[in-house]
Amino acid sequence: MFKNLVVRPKNIVVALLSLGLAAGVTVAPANAAPKNLARSVVQTDWLEKNLDNPDVKIIEVSTEAGLYERGHIKNAVKFNWYTDLVEVVNRDIVAGARFQKLARAAGINKNSTVVLYGDKNNWFAAWGAWIFNTYGIEDVRLVDGGRVKWEKDGRPFTTVVPTPKEGNFVATKADKSIRATLIRDVLPAVRKKGSADLVDIRSADEYNGKIFAPAGFQELAVRAGHIPGAVNVPWGANVNADGTFKSVADLKKLYADKGIDGKKPIITYCRIGERSSLTWFVLSEILGYEVKNYDGSWTEYGNGVGNPINNPAGTIWGAA
Amino acid sequence: MGSSVISAVTNFGRGSGDSGTSTEVSTWSKGDSVRTGLAALLVVGLLFSAYQLSDNEGTGANAALSLLIGSALGIAFERGRFCFFCIFRDAIEDRDTTPFLSILSAIAVGAIGYAVIFGQFLPDTSSDRLPPNAHIGPVSTALVAAGLAFGIGMALSGACISGHLYRIGQGSLRAYPALFGSLIGFGLGFKSWNTLYSKSISIAPTAWLPHYLGYGGSLVLTLLLLAVIAVVAIRIGKNSTPLANPVATKIDLASLRQSLLINRWRPLTTGAIFGVIGTFAYLRIEPLGVTRQLSTTSRTYFEGQGWIPQNLDGLDLMAGCIAVVSTAIVNNGWLILGIVIASFAAALAGNRFKFQQITWRNALTALVGGLLLGWSSMIALGCTVGVLLSGTQSFALSGWVFFATAFTGAWIGIKLKLHKL
Repeated sequence: MFKNLVVRPKNIVVALLSLGLAAGVTVAPANAAPKNLARSVVQTDWLEKNLDNPDVKIIEVSTEAGLYERGHIKNAVKFNWYTDLVEVVNRDIVAGARFQKLARAAGINKNSTVVLYGDKNNWFAAWGAWIFNTYGIEDVRLVDGGRVKWEKDGRPFTTVVPTPKEGNFVATKADKSIRATLIRDVLPAVRKKGSADLVDIRSADEYNGKIFAPAGFQELAVRAGHIPGAVNVPWGANVNADGTFKSVADLKKLYADKGIDGKKPIITYCRIGERSSLTWFVLSEILGYEVKNYDGSWTEYGNGVGNPINNPAGTIWGAA
Repeated sequence: MGSSVISAVTNFGRGSGDSGTSTEVSTWSKGDSVRTGLAALLVVGLLFSAYQLSDNEGTGANAALSLLIGSALGIAFERGRFCFFCIFRDAIEDRDTTPFLSILSAIAVGAIGYAVIFGQFLPDTSSDRLPPNAHIGPVSTALVAAGLAFGIGMALSGACISGHLYRIGQGSLRAYPALFGSLIGFGLGFKSWNTLYSKSISIAPTAWLPHYLGYGGSLVLTLLLLAVIAVVAIRIGKNSTPLANPVATKIDLASLRQSLLINRWRPLTTGAIFGVIGTFAYLRIEPLGVTRQLSTTSRTYFEGQGWIPQNLDGLDLMAGCIAVVSTAIVNNGWLILGIVIASFAAALAGNRFKFQQITWRNALTALVGGLLLGWSSMIALGCTVGVLLSGTQSFALSGWVFFATAFTGAWIGIKLKLHKL
């Protein structure tokens, strides 16, 4: 019973921020850890009060086709993760110029607050948040619990597609401090043990090399296992049963138990870099650690010729 | 003029004797009351199940809604005798083209509904994008082959897949070997998929009318085409069933009961009901189709046996009644359950439930026909409902190609007298 009465620091900051907004005061993000917490996670009730706030731009990034079309949060614009947020020919994140065009069409201005949500524990919404951060949007937030929480709260959906006024957002150069590459970040971290913490967010069976990819997924690496030195914290561990983020204390403990305390730079990865953006979001935007998301992930690393790996199960591709 | 109306009215009660066109209010027996009461109980049971499903964490509102949509379909199938093969056979064999109009009416009403929804789901038709989930497929030689095979399979087994499903509710026993055959047929489809995909389907164009004409133009063209087909059908129709006259000039309870439960629903009305249900289904869940669950069941079983490839190339990226590997009942499974039970309720209320005679011979033809139905609806990514109706309603050329080829296949099958084997 008392459990429910525990006041989470996150809630306090959110409440303070709401008060600040109500008073028309701009609350500057506190520099102290947890960095950006108030700004980076919004509750559904806050969003419902800010649906028509011209400074708030709502973006839905879901994986299930037709979900947005059959009902979305009022004034939300749809971003399609596999065409809008990536370069489909080059394997890369969306180019700056195209992203700027897309963001402007969604009505996003230089000083907009961008609020993202989606299905499946905000999986691809977090990828969206990472991309928005990469291109210099200052204020990017995720809706706690995403679509499912909003729906469970009994809050309304609409099918009306908004027609935003063209925004004036200007994309910055892609921020290298939150994106890891094989050559620049990952291999050096493997070679020089202890220079960075690697977090593998895939399932234990993938991490241990028992399987190559989860059932139903086709993107594969020809090797099973993980990057040497990486610890395994499956991405689902970041959220409660209802899809909302765990409390800051719980999250801190979850990673500290695995030796991740934010004292060293962190690299997160999964199979193709999408699910790991949720862990990037938790470590970077909620806990305030220095984190890069490695979007090449296991499909690049595990396939790379000569990259050292760790494969406890010893599974060999092609062997029966 | 006035006297002809009066004579028409006084002619009531001298109907042809065919209950489908009777203008006479038949006497209501105690048995009718019992049967109708049972049917009402079944409907209440369906509603209650939907209510239960909607509360269920795992299945949710979409399963409940699927069950209700299936129930509506089951009643409409049974009451309107919306059986694609029967409709084709009436036209081909008896030159009775009246029932054919129900298909045209379903496409017309559905196309209007789809156009309205599309306009909101995908306002800009100039990009390469397609509206989500709509059954718009590639127009390949494989599709042509599948359409022909489907038509022949209908002739052999006596119905299409949706036809077999709703006829279970009327007591059909041939439906069982036919649907069992279709499960094996789906397996053969999965086995041949990768070859057909690389040789034909993957290189075939996906033609969607609104890319060229926008929604308005596509709708106008579709309605014009339907009008032309209707004119031709009516002109060549010879022995067309007279449309059921209203049972009475004034609606009273007895005549209402007669037209709802006993008399066959008029083709245009039946078609319009299908158009409306199709629109609702697309708006809320997915386009109408009846093969996704069957296909899923087949794929899951055969994959477990290691008889079909684990990777079906490109299938995940297609739109249609696509199989997933799952042991759980998908939404489409609830829809099918709704069709069978509601059709049974409708048949019961109208005293049309009767176990159909089954012999080794007609069970075998049903099984072989079912094989063809299964194979072809796997390759075409749906059947007469999922591709023919939902495809044409979404302005997909693939839907029209399947319509033409399935009709041709049925024509070949009937000329070869496969349905009388």
